[in-house]
Amino acid sequence: MEKDSFVDCERKRLYKVINFRLPSQFVGIGLVICVLTTAIMFFRAFAMDGGDTEWLKLLLQKTLLVGMLIMSVSKDKIEDEMTMSLRAQSYAIAFIVGVIYALVMPYVEYGVSNVVHSGGEAFKSLGDFQVLLFMLMIQLMFYHFLKRNR
Amino acid sequence: MENTIKVERAILSLTQGDLAEKIGVSRQTINSIEANRYVPSTVLALKLSAIFGKPVNQFFKLSDSD
Repeated sequence: MEKDSFVDCERKRLYKVINFRLPSQFVGIGLVICVLTTAIMFFRAFAMDGGDTEWLKLLLQKTLLVGMLIMSVSKDKIEDEMTMSLRAQSYAIAFIVGVIYALVMPYVEYGVSNVVHSGGEAFKSLGDFQVLLFMLMIQLMFYHFLKRNR
Repeated sequence: MENTIKVERAILSLTQGDLAEKIGVSRQTINSIEANRYVPSTVLALKLSAIFGKPVNQFFKLSDSD
């Protein structure tokens, strides 16, 4: 294979990955997954007593993230260059806000915990679920906000 | 960037929805372009040019801030 055609092939593959979007019906599927998962999370937290359900908590966290990711990568009913641009903007905003959140939030939690009751919680970093959930929420929120105000 | 798409659309008696359908975008995108909130790509500009039967620079003009 010539060098140019090899580079072209690599570029085509890269753009195929970059432009990957699920069909618009997947928004509904993602939403259903998120709603069901959240409902089960509440049920597990308040109604299920006894037994070790930590595995269920972890499973539900992952399922919620998958549901939100499906919503995030699904196409709009009418997908055009403007919606693609708005989506790219929302990802950029979510990334920046997510990094700030991950840097600042542990100190806020630590501060608040120590103000509310003296000798509160020890300083701890955020978990991956909390950061990813926050970033996906910001992305979806900003995308719909930008779309409404376009 | 300024444009006269609204005028061109009125000449052809097209609604925003009609024009959007012809070039394969949403009505809101046409609305944003007309309001100068969104600058379309070259592909979209050329599609508009084909619909209006005029060169792109007749309905898109650079503004002083560009």
